[in-house]
Amino acid sequence: MNAPETPMLEARGISFSYAGPVVRDVSLSLSAGSITGIIGPNGSGKTTFVRILDGLLRPSTGEVLLWGDQPLAGMKRKEIARHIAMVPQNGGIWHYQSVFQFAMQGRSPHLSLLGFESSRDEEIARSALEMTQLTHLQEMRASNISGGERQRLLLARAFAQQAEILLLDEFTANLDINYQVELMRLVHRITRERGLATLVISHEINLLAAFCDRISLMAEGRIFCQGPAQEIITRENLNDLFGLDFSVRSLAGGALEVLPVIHKEVSL
Amino acid sequence: MNRLSRKRILSITLTLLALWCVAVLLSVNIGSVSIPLGTSLILLKDHLLGRPGTGTPAETILFAVRLPRVLLGSLVGAALASAGTAFQSLLRNPLADPYVLGVSTGASMGTILYSMAASAGIGVLGGGIAYGRPLAAFVGAVLTVLAVYAIGGGDGRTGEGSQRLLLAGIVLASFLSSINVFLLTSTNQADLRGIFYWLIGDLSRPADASMYAVAGVVLVGCATLFLFSHSLNLISMGEEDAMALGTEVRRVKISVYIVASLITGAVVSVSGPIAYIGLICPHMGRMMFGADNRILFPAVFLFGAIFTVLADTVARTVLSPAELPIGVITALCGAPLFIYLLRRRGVGI
Repeated sequence: MNAPETPMLEARGISFSYAGPVVRDVSLSLSAGSITGIIGPNGSGKTTFVRILDGLLRPSTGEVLLWGDQPLAGMKRKEIARHIAMVPQNGGIWHYQSVFQFAMQGRSPHLSLLGFESSRDEEIARSALEMTQLTHLQEMRASNISGGERQRLLLARAFAQQAEILLLDEFTANLDINYQVELMRLVHRITRERGLATLVISHEINLLAAFCDRISLMAEGRIFCQGPAQEIITRENLNDLFGLDFSVRSLAGGALEVLPVIHKEVSL
Repeated sequence: MNRLSRKRILSITLTLLALWCVAVLLSVNIGSVSIPLGTSLILLKDHLLGRPGTGTPAETILFAVRLPRVLLGSLVGAALASAGTAFQSLLRNPLADPYVLGVSTGASMGTILYSMAASAGIGVLGGGIAYGRPLAAFVGAVLTVLAVYAIGGGDGRTGEGSQRLLLAGIVLASFLSSINVFLLTSTNQADLRGIFYWLIGDLSRPADASMYAVAGVVLVGCATLFLFSHSLNLISMGEEDAMALGTEVRRVKISVYIVASLITGAVVSVSGPIAYIGLICPHMGRMMFGADNRILFPAVFLFGAIFTVLADTVARTVLSPAELPIGVITALCGAPLFIYLLRRRGVGI
């Protein structure tokens, strides 16, 4: 709860409603060089919350602060996008652009009005493609690459933004386990190397348990517990969250193994 | 694929500018009276150098009739094609254009109401001065856009929103055009044929002082759209992504809507609602130059002008000495061309 340094991005008492309340009094802070995970059932308000963190939605109460004292509410979109990169759930519309051009979009917040890129922007986009191992595809149409490559491309675009805060909303959904691990390793490495403050929303409990420094459990718009992964990922907590039995084991080397225990019938 | 270079934009623009000059020269020479190319070049040179005219019939036809008409056609084509490009990008829908969205029809209605008020001697805003008609057309265009939004506006995050808007536009356009016909037939206008032509889209109306206002609006408007081209590139990728990448989506959308309606209103007030230019020119531009709006806006501006000048030349010569309204030609060659393009490679935004 009490990070010693100033948080990079901090949500204080955020609430938001559409027809009814979706996010209720949520506080969370992201600090440099660490990954925070949010786990919660569908409809628990995770995506709404992450959109509020990126300033795409305005909270009805509470505020989001950059570097502890800069309210997001008063900032221009372009300025926000220089500091916060987001990979939205179902992001990107895929048509005419090449993979390279798509990654180049990440440079947008750094460009002037007409958006002419410099050779430096080009370099940054290329290195983002290299980091995500897409260099060999850069001439292809973005609409013709595979699902796993698309997710990597969305990540490459976010890296090209060179923001210090990275928000990833279910960016490994629909990928096979191998891809998921590969992408999380990449995010983990870049987070450490560049001192990013990273937030990951995912349904993959094992993935988050392995890579996140801190985990928050969210249900019905509230974060009901948060802390280091080892303390938070427990049978009791997961049972509270999903209403299912879980088996949680500590493996050699400190890794956690989380499995839902599935019964055919509801036990009475 | 490298980054977009200013050089590429410049070379495409200059090439199209040269083609436009060729189209203009061709068009002013062709007609019920043909003027040899050499003669018109000499006349043009003398005119540009400020030498006194010779008063020959060729000179009168060239400067009083054909050149104004060709320039008007260029302006109209450039404006409609640019507005179409803007609407297609904004709505992420290849079928959007000022005509389909009802903006053109709304603008015609504004013009008709203004003319009726003026001929009834009612001193409306801008009455008597050149800006009255374009202003009325603009008001008509903007009110239509607002109505289309009120009827079909939905959640901008999904593609559904743009389809609803298009549907609302189509319905409103047919509704308004019925009212237009009703208004025109009920007022016992002497010049029914002229009005009928204008409703289909016609460039034969003699140019008057409002031309300067229209030209100003179109040039400034299209330059403004060009400034929004990168933001529109991002918006055509999805509004959520565009916002996350630093675009003030709401502000851009409202500005582009207003500017595109403004230039549509301005040209419709002089030419009537010409169909298909705003739909086809952007697609042909995309097929030739790619979908990047930074190239597309300047290219389509000139391409729209060329297309319209050529179509109008056909309109006034094919049944010579009788003239067809240009709207007939754009629809006649536009529709099959569009079907061909659609079948051949599909149309993307």
